[in-house]
Amino acid sequence: MNATEAQSTGRIRAIFEDAGVRGWLHATPLDRPHETIEIDSDAVVPLASVYKLPLLVGFCQLVDQGRLDPREQVTLLPEARTPGPTGLSLLADPITISRRDLAVLMMTVSDNAAADALLDHVGLDRLGTILGELGLTRTRIRRGAADNLRALQRSTGAPDADAALAVLADNDRTDPPGVYEAANASSGTARELTRLLSRLWTGDLLSAEQTHFARTTMERQIFQHRIAAGFPYDGVRVAGKTGTFGALRHEAAVVTLPGGDAYAVAVLTLAARSDSRLPRVDAAIGEAARVAVDLLR
Amino acid sequence: MLTERHLQIFVAIADERHFGDAARVVGITQPPLSQGLRRLEALVGAKLFERGPGQVELTPAGAALLPFARRALNSFEEFHQAASAQDPEAPELRLGLAPEVPAAVGAAVAAACTEALRSTRVSVVTAPTSSLVAAVASGRLGLAAVLHPAVLDGLQAGPVTLLPTWALVPTSLVPDDGDPLRLGKLSGLPVAVRPRAEAPAARDLFLDTLALHRPTGGTVVVTDERAGLAMAAAGQAILVTADPQLEAAGVGRHRLVDDPLPVRLRLVWPQSRTPSALPAEVIPHLTKALAAS
Repeated sequence: MNATEAQSTGRIRAIFEDAGVRGWLHATPLDRPHETIEIDSDAVVPLASVYKLPLLVGFCQLVDQGRLDPREQVTLLPEARTPGPTGLSLLADPITISRRDLAVLMMTVSDNAAADALLDHVGLDRLGTILGELGLTRTRIRRGAADNLRALQRSTGAPDADAALAVLADNDRTDPPGVYEAANASSGTARELTRLLSRLWTGDLLSAEQTHFARTTMERQIFQHRIAAGFPYDGVRVAGKTGTFGALRHEAAVVTLPGGDAYAVAVLTLAARSDSRLPRVDAAIGEAARVAVDLLR
Repeated sequence: MLTERHLQIFVAIADERHFGDAARVVGITQPPLSQGLRRLEALVGAKLFERGPGQVELTPAGAALLPFARRALNSFEEFHQAASAQDPEAPELRLGLAPEVPAAVGAAVAAACTEALRSTRVSVVTAPTSSLVAAVASGRLGLAAVLHPAVLDGLQAGPVTLLPTWALVPTSLVPDDGDPLRLGKLSGLPVAVRPRAEAPAARDLFLDTLALHRPTGGTVVVTDERAGLAMAAAGQAILVTADPQLEAAGVGRHRLVDDPLPVRLRLVWPQSRTPSALPAEVIPHLTKALAAS
């Protein structure tokens, strides 16, 4: 690491400190994978909904291999759907939908019900094998959102998912032990997330058709408050996946500048405060991504 | 040969009047306690206690020797303290206290450290939460009481303890009637706050809560509570403090309705595998001292 680089990771660390978070970051240009900006990028961190990114890649691979039909219709009954703040999780009646549309909802609005249904089709074992073949040895998808909420309910002793999340959001209480332990959840590292994104974007993971599907779906993500907020220009495209659970706030994204230069960036954070809304932290994720990309330009 | 242990046994039985309790006080089991007493009686050449049914009484010889035993034990204690002060290799616990920790609370934690870690020297520093967390992480401090929430990177932490706060308000703004006040009504003067960089997350939580209840009135940055108290005495600011002893002429002390701005404290210490780690069994004792005070 040269002096300039040490200075700029210092800048990113200062952004994290000011926002009151522990932060992990990895950023790399897609065409120059040996150039990186890193902060604790090999630490294994619970991924929250960022696990939907490896799940999407696994799904698309199975489609490429002809083992899953993306057009097959599935019916999801309301009582069997995972709760969540967006998408099918909010709806009251039975839904019939194709698998690929589940993937679209999972990635664009982080739909927990859609993601858990898709995870059922892909399977934890098959997904684990796929990630192993990709060389992502530190990325472990252990469970989806439904099991995650059940585990949280167990460790908090709360009667339902909302009450369990309220325990996590209380600044006056100590977090139940193990809630933010990577070993208990779907977890990964900032470095492996950018490696996955880089390989997805350069097209050597999936067929041209599935690469196109994955990239365009990720460009349609509605959440703009994290990495995208660091690049407030219509000419910059940000295709990402956020993750939020308790004090965890993450995003992994590919940032494409007007000239076409593209960068894979993963910013993972754990906030000191428990509040469920911390706009300062969301903004800090954008700032950190911006500093990293500017340094790599 | 007369030893310190003989004297401990003698004094403990005299104080407790019960062999089992005395053994617990000395930290041994009952058989070695009885054996130690027999040896001491042989050395002295007199019986020290009469063991009656269900009770233990000093003999006249025991009563005569007890004050000397106490004095000798005190001398032993002084010797141990002097020796550990001389020995730079003696274990030392460096305790850090955030400035928001009220003086009496910090004192209680320090006292609990001495009690729990005998023959360990305790030294105390005061520094902002962000400095304390870094110092504990690097092993320069063995324990610290810091503001919660703070980023605790790889540290062990005890439960969150809430200390209620008072508003110290100039009597020129609110009469000193001791009545609880609504935070929302305290908009006439700025609230004194310490610099944000000292503890960004805890300070933001304070400021966000303040702004929710009290959208106008503003804040003024002060270096410490003394400066805040002086600002209040000068009729320039309101100080929110957890310290029950802070007072000044012309400043009234009021509870805030629903206690919206408690001081949240937490003990932090290094991971157990590090050399400066505290023995696990003392931790509950120390966290209790923080919570009880």
